[in-house]
Order: sequence, then structure tokens, then C-alpha cells
Amino acid sequence: MTKYTMYSKMIVHSLLRRRSRMFVALLAVAIGATVLSGLVTIYYDVPRQMGREFRSYGANLILIPAGDSQVVAETDVARATELLPQEQLVGIASYLYGRIKVNEQPIMVAGIHFQEVKKVSPFWQIRGNWPEEQAGDILIGAEVAELLKVEPGQSVTLAAGESERKAKVAGIVRTGGTEENYIFTDLPMLQQMLNKEGQVSVTQVSVMATEAELTTFTKTAGDKVPAVTPRLVKRVTQSEEMVLGKLQALVYLVTIVVLLLTLICVATTMMAVVAERRKEIGLKKALGAENRSIVLEFLGEGLMLGLLGGLLGTVLGFFFAQSVSVNVFGRMISFQPLIACMALIVSIMVTGVACLIPVKTATSVEPAIVLRGE
Amino acid sequence: MNILELRDISMIYGTVKALQDINLTVQKGEWVALMGPSGSGKTTLMNIIGCMDKASRGSVVLDGVEFSQLNAKQLTAIRRDKIGLVFQQFHLVPYLTALENVMVAQYYHSMPDEQEAMAALERVGLAERARHLPSQLSGGEQQRVCIARALINYPMLILADEPTGNLDEANANIVLRLFQELHQEGHTIIMVTHDPDVGKLAERCIMLDHGKIVQHSNRYEGVAKACVNG
Amino acid sequence: MFWQILKGSLVRQRQKMFMVAITIALGVSLTTAMLNVMLDVGDKVNRELKAYGANITVTPRSASILHDFYGVEAGGAGQYLQESELGKLKTIFWANNIVDFSPILETRAIIGQTASEITLVGTWFNHRLDLPTGETVETGIKQLKSWWSVEGNWVQESSQGAMLGSMAASRLGLQIGDEIDLVIPGSDRTAKVKIEGVFNSGGPEDEEIFVPLGLAQKLTNLPGKVGKIEVSAITTPENELARKAAHDPKSLSLKEWETWYCTAYVGAIAYQIEEAITGAHAKPVRQVAESEGAILQKTQLLMLLITVLSLIGSTLGISNLLTASVMERNREVGLLKALGADDTEVLVLTLSQILFTGIAGGFAGYFLGLGFAQIIGQTVFSAAVAAKPMVIPIVMVLVVLVTLTGSLPAIRMLVSLRPAEVLHGR
Repeated sequence: MTKYTMYSKMIVHSLLRRRSRMFVALLAVAIGATVLSGLVTIYYDVPRQMGREFRSYGANLILIPAGDSQVVAETDVARATELLPQEQLVGIASYLYGRIKVNEQPIMVAGIHFQEVKKVSPFWQIRGNWPEEQAGDILIGAEVAELLKVEPGQSVTLAAGESERKAKVAGIVRTGGTEENYIFTDLPMLQQMLNKEGQVSVTQVSVMATEAELTTFTKTAGDKVPAVTPRLVKRVTQSEEMVLGKLQALVYLVTIVVLLLTLICVATTMMAVVAERRKEIGLKKALGAENRSIVLEFLGEGLMLGLLGGLLGTVLGFFFAQSVSVNVFGRMISFQPLIACMALIVSIMVTGVACLIPVKTATSVEPAIVLRGE
Repeated sequence: MNILELRDISMIYGTVKALQDINLTVQKGEWVALMGPSGSGKTTLMNIIGCMDKASRGSVVLDGVEFSQLNAKQLTAIRRDKIGLVFQQFHLVPYLTALENVMVAQYYHSMPDEQEAMAALERVGLAERARHLPSQLSGGEQQRVCIARALINYPMLILADEPTGNLDEANANIVLRLFQELHQEGHTIIMVTHDPDVGKLAERCIMLDHGKIVQHSNRYEGVAKACVNG
Repeated sequence: MFWQILKGSLVRQRQKMFMVAITIALGVSLTTAMLNVMLDVGDKVNRELKAYGANITVTPRSASILHDFYGVEAGGAGQYLQESELGKLKTIFWANNIVDFSPILETRAIIGQTASEITLVGTWFNHRLDLPTGETVETGIKQLKSWWSVEGNWVQESSQGAMLGSMAASRLGLQIGDEIDLVIPGSDRTAKVKIEGVFNSGGPEDEEIFVPLGLAQKLTNLPGKVGKIEVSAITTPENELARKAAHDPKSLSLKEWETWYCTAYVGAIAYQIEEAITGAHAKPVRQVAESEGAILQKTQLLMLLITVLSLIGSTLGISNLLTASVMERNREVGLLKALGADDTEVLVLTLSQILFTGIAGGFAGYFLGLGFAQIIGQTVFSAAVAAKPMVIPIVMVLVVLVTLTGSLPAIRMLVSLRPAEVLHGR
């Protein structure tokens, strides 16, 4: 039998045959690791998830026609939006503005793709329903509805120049903003009525990106597609940057405080568990063990405990973060191997250090004092 | 041949003089009993000889090596290589089997050797209990494991502190018989005891009181009686 | 005698008990900090969300739809709100929730030097307003439009200054420090103003020029009148009741109506503003109000879950340490039992030791926790986190519960302990 096998035998048996104590220690490490991996995962994930929530404020980027032109071709808009990171896109809603007669009254009108607007501006309150795509139904602003005295389900007559058609009002829009003064039709329909096929006035884009990323985009898109001028919606981007920053700082600080306290908790528990074994340390010294070998043994135990508890805690922590994400944001998160590794290493390190402190004090005591009396 | 030589050993804790000017030599193969009432300094003297404590004054020479000049690490090495310890409370590592407890001593000394450790347990009559944990052994058995552990590294000197103090008579007799065998094999033994019957087994009997040697007697000179009276 | 043993064990085992106390203190401070932050986070984040600007706009009841649709300036009574009534905003039921507000008076004007037309907006920049209650508030677009990036300075209320939108500035080639003449088309009213600052808002305001309200009133010959008020209020996230009320307040039952009126829903605040200001029509800005609610709820839920995790963590941590520390004491307990103490006596002694330590640790921990909460509050929100009194009983119950349950496994062990085994060190 080699020295090494005896060493591992001692460590393994110390863990296995002192079950109740080691369970206590293992639990402590596992709690620490759970909090660690759970919180760090949340900290890492919160800006991403919260960023998505902030998209409910609507478009953070608009594309307007360059120069004095009133409209821009849809193909140009598409060329510009292709430059955006596609997986971060929430929605692209194009608007074509115009003026038509509704029930003989001149009203401002906007042609939109209803599904895209629903994605970009989730704050629109609709009484009635969103119109089906291609059905030819319309939405009508609350102010206009009051003016025209129409309710959802009624029909109105739309007239622009020669063309005239009847359309059903699917719902009434309430936003508290200028949208309440418009009626909204399907974009291709309005393009046809106004003879502006393939053209839009403005395009709202909702994309998950920081202000800096968006600024770079406006530069490159402006250069590559000269027909459009991209502009940031400063109210949204800047405020998002600010509020999201605060939220992230909040979670960051909370994480730090919780971690610090939890790790100290783990350390004190480990210290209590090890301090109990002063007598064993004294005995080993009396048998002629050098301080180094005693330290090595306890370190081995500590690392083993740290590894086991860390593994357990990392898994638990991930499930915790997962349930937080599902409950708060309704979305799954992906497993982060880097965070798991880090949690594992930290728990091993903390356990090791927490073991060493009482061992160090115990080994500095003469064995006779430890063994005497009791 | 002198194995151990103590010259003018004193031990002072604060104002308490635990030992005063102790002079003692022990020959190879001798069995010396240290006797005396509680607090007379027996255990302190044992600790000094066992390198677990340093004397305040005086010199200890074990096998030609003087202790006072040695640092903690060197003292540990001496304890490991030259001394076998037997305690009143046995002090076995609770989570290791009897065999493993013996092997721990080998492990700190040099190399664990299962066969040799097994042989040591056989020597104390515990071969069939080798795989048991201390909590599964009786007091006498635990003490025999302790003796096997003390022997495993072929020590120059066996130090036993009240080895029968926690045992019933039957077990105490088994343990004492073991010590007698060891003595006959030529081991040097220093044993602290307060039991006169145990003291009688030794060749020499040292009586301590208030840190001083009050009587120094030899069995063959018929002074065993002194031990008994003390 | 009991007290002597208790005192002895506490004093002489100082080190061990100290460690237990420290762990309990840490656990309690964590709990205190998290609970306080959690209870306050809604308020704090809500204030941060004010960065998105007004969530209620107040317009004259006889809607300015004519202006919006046809660009016609109708003039006359009923088309405007009274500037003198603005202070009444701070007298409504939810007055404290109204953070900022600012009047707007718009008109078309011509810049004399370039002969180009521009929208002129009269407003408060940073206005000191004396309230009917005797208090004074400072409000205006400087607070309301926190996302504006401004070159130069914000205009002083009393001065003849103006702030120009960045798009207009580059289109007209005007710079900070330029003096311009403003002319109202079709009238002889003019004014000379100096451009104090140029702002970039990323919105339609970039094409406009902002001047003090008094100047705009003089130019439009509408003394004491405002066209619109933008209000930023702290609101409670919408729920079913709020949506029902938003659709038609008259559809609520009396009890529902009372609940709705006394909750800071954006709709309820808007309703109260309409009550306070004559001829006013207050509309929630959905874009801001809805999103605020969503973000607020998510943040609170997130903090709640983190708090629960840290509570579970610290509870387990404390119980764990207690188990460890009681286990360590088995020899002493074995001795007491050997001396004839029965299980109850041992239990009472052990529990008193632990509770005593726990209470001492808990006390220290509570104040430590308040400190942590303040650090978080100051660092993140630059504002103190209010110490909620309701945290104290929660923490107290928790300490007692945790210390008792934490000692449970250890106590079971103590009771089943056989003195002989422990004392003989087997």
C-alpha cells in the first residue's frame, strides 16, 4: 500500500464514517454554492431578460426618409433593417401616413401591418379586437371614434381621391398619445388607395440593444442605405440605459451582500465542524505527524467536501435561477458552464480556507495540552 | 547502556513548580514505573520524555540526542521514530478501523504496510478484530490496538500513561501481560501508574511527590515494598 | 444553580458561542437588509422609471382636436387651462405621488433672421411654485425630460432665453449665444430671445423652440393660459379593476369605486386631476403607464424571490451551525446527564444558551442589516432605504424559529445520548 492510498483512505473514511457531522458540513457548502450559482446566474441573466421587458416601451429606433423626401421605399427599409442583429429584433413596424375621408370627414390615416405594431407597441389598448391581417378591417383612434361616434363592429366608408371602399371597425385604440387621432388600415390597402405602392413614411423598430450599439447602427445604416435616416428614440434608449443600469446595480449589490454573508456562514460552520476535532489533531501530532501532513489531510477533506457540496449546490442553484426566470420573466435560461465552474471553484476554495483556519490554530498547540485531561 | 538521561529537569507553570530538579537514567531494556499521587508531576514528566512538552530547565538526552536544542519539527521526528505512546484514554481515530489506526502510525513514520500492521495486531491478539471501528471494540481491545500502534515503528522507548486506568481487572491483566512480554523481548518501558500492583511488575519504581523524586527503589533490592507503601 | 451553569457555559465557552452569535447576526442582517430593500424597491424603481417622462397629459376638455386635425387655432374660452390652477395638482388625494409636472403652450412663430417657421413652446424649465398648502415645489421640464442631452444651459425662468431643438438648430444654422427675433404670423407681437441651450431629445421636440411660459403667453396674447399639462406620477401597476375603471368609471360598484379611487392607479390619479382642475381632460399615456407597471412587477417579484432564497440560505446556514455547535457539546451534556440531570433540564439549559446567543446575535444583526440596506440604497438609488418597522417582528419570529428548529436535530441527539458512551470516548 502506498502513502497515497492511505491518505485517500483516511480522507474518504473520515467523510463516510462521520456521517452526521459531514452531512452538516456538506449541507453548509451546498447552501453556499446554491446561493452563489443561483444569484450569479440571475445577475448574468437579468439585464437580458429585463431588456426584453423594457421593449414594452415601444420603438427605440425609427427610420425616416432621408433629406426632404416624404416617403421611402419598403425595399430600402428592408435593406437597412437587415443590418440589425436579427435575433435581437422584437419587431419592425412601418407606417404610411396620409389623409383620407372617413364618412365624409377628413381624418389622418396610417397604414400599418397590425401584427408588427402589436409587437413594437404592446402598450396599445384596444377596445374590440386587433384586425385580422388582409381582412381589410381597421382600427380607429379613441378621439376619432368620439368625433365620428362609431363603435367596434360598425362599418365606415373610406375615400381617397377616386377610390372608395367600406371597412369594418375592429377595435378602438387608446394610447393617451397622438395615435388616438388616427385611423389605422392595412398597409398594402392604404398604399393602393393613395397610389404609393411599396412606400412608407416612417418605420419603427424595437430591438434589444444598448444605446451604443444603436448609435453604431445608425451610422452604418445611414452610410449603406442613403435613402433612409435612422434615428434613436432618445426618450426610450436613454431612459432604458439609466433604469436598466440601476436595476443591474441593485441585483449586483444584493448578490455581493448575500454572497458575502453566505460565504461567512459557510466558513463559520466549517470552522465549528473542524474545531471539534482538536483532539484528533493532537493525537496525530503525538503519533509523530508533521504539521504539514495534518494540514494536507484536512485540506483534502475540505476540498472533497467543497467539490461535493459545490456540485450539489451548483445544480440546485441553476434550478433556482431557472424557476426565478420562469416565474418572473416566463422564459427559460440556458445553462452557463462558466458560472457553474466558477461556483464550484469558489466553494472549493472557501471550504478549503475555512478548514485550514481552525487546523492551523490546532496544530500550533502542543499535543500534550490537547490530549491531557479528557 | 543508558537510553534516557534526565538531568536537573524542572517544569514551571507560572508560579507552580510542577517538577523540580529531576535526575533519572533509564537503561536499555528496563521497565520503570513512575508513581505518585495526583498532581505529583507524573504526566508532566511523561510529556517531557515524550517530546510533547519542553522542560523549563535541565536536559533530556534520549539515545544520545539532547532535546533542548531541537525545534518543534525535530522533536516531532524523534517522537515518531523513537517513542511509542500508550494513553489512558486510548485515543484512537474514531473513523478508522483497528488496522487502519495502526497503519496511521506507519503512514506518519514512513510507509503504510498492511501485512506488518496485521502482524502487530496478531501480536496483541486482535487479528480477527482488525476490521472493526474503535466504537465496536471493548476498552481492553482498544488499548491493545493502542499498544500495537505504539509498537509498529520499533520504538526505542515505550511510554505508557496509566494504560490500565480505564480498564476492568480482566482487561487490565491482558494488557499487563502484554507489557510483561514486551519487557521480556527487551523493550524499554516507562509506565505511569498509581496502582501498586502494576508498579510491582516493574524493575524500578520512582515515587514522585510535589514535583520531586521522593523514593527511588529497585525490585531486586526488595524495595518494592516502598512502592506499595507510597 | 441553573443560572450559574448558564452563565458559566456562556462566559467560558465564549469563543464557540461568539461564533454562533456571529453567524446568527450575519443571517439576521442578511434578512433585514433584503426585506427592507425588497419592501422599498417598488418605490425606488418607480422613481427611476420617471425617467420615461410624463405618464398623464392634461388637456382642455373641449378637445383641441381641431388644432390637431387642421392646425387651426380656434382661440376663446374653454380651449385653454388656467396657469393659476396648476398648484391644485398638489392638492389631490394622491398629491404626494405627483412627482413633476409642466405646462405647455404651443404656437407657430417665425424666426425673424431666417424667415423660417417653427413651433414655439412655452413651458416651465425649473419653476418654483408656491402651493395653496404653503409648501413650495420645484418642477418643470428639466426634471420631466431627463433624457434630453443639453449643450449650453437650461433657461432661467425670468430670462429672455430660449432652448432650440438640435434638428432645428442645424437646419437653421443657429448656435448657442445667437439672438433671434420671434414673430407671430399675422400679428405685430414680437420678442427678442437669446439661445441659451441646444437640446437633443430624439423626438419631435428637436424641431421646436422652447421659451419661458410667460413669454409665450405674451406672444400669443393669452395671459395666464396654458394649452396642456404634462404630469409625471408614481402609480400602482394596473389590474383588472383598473382596466374596468379605465373603460368606464361608472360601471364600478360603490365599493369597487372607493377601492379604485383610493389606489394610485394612473386612471384614478387622472380622474382626480380632472376633479381638481376646471375644464380639464386628463389622459394616461399608455406607453409609459403600462410599461411601468410591467417592469415594476417584474422587479418586485425578482427581489422577492432573491429574498426568499437568501432567507432559506441563512435559515439553513444558522440551523446547520447550531447543529454543529450542539453536537460538539455532547461530552458536557453526557456529564450533566451522568450527574443526574434529566432530559428536560438538559434541554432547557441547551435551549436557553442558544436562545440567549441567538437574541444577542439577532440584535446586532438587525442593525448591521439596516446598514447593508442603506449601502444598497445609497449606491444604487442615491436615496435612503426606509427602515420598515414590520421587518422587526418578522426578524424576531425568524430568529426564534430558526434557532429552535436549528437545534432540533441536535436536541434529538442530546436526548438519546447515553452518558457512558460519551464519557468513555467511544
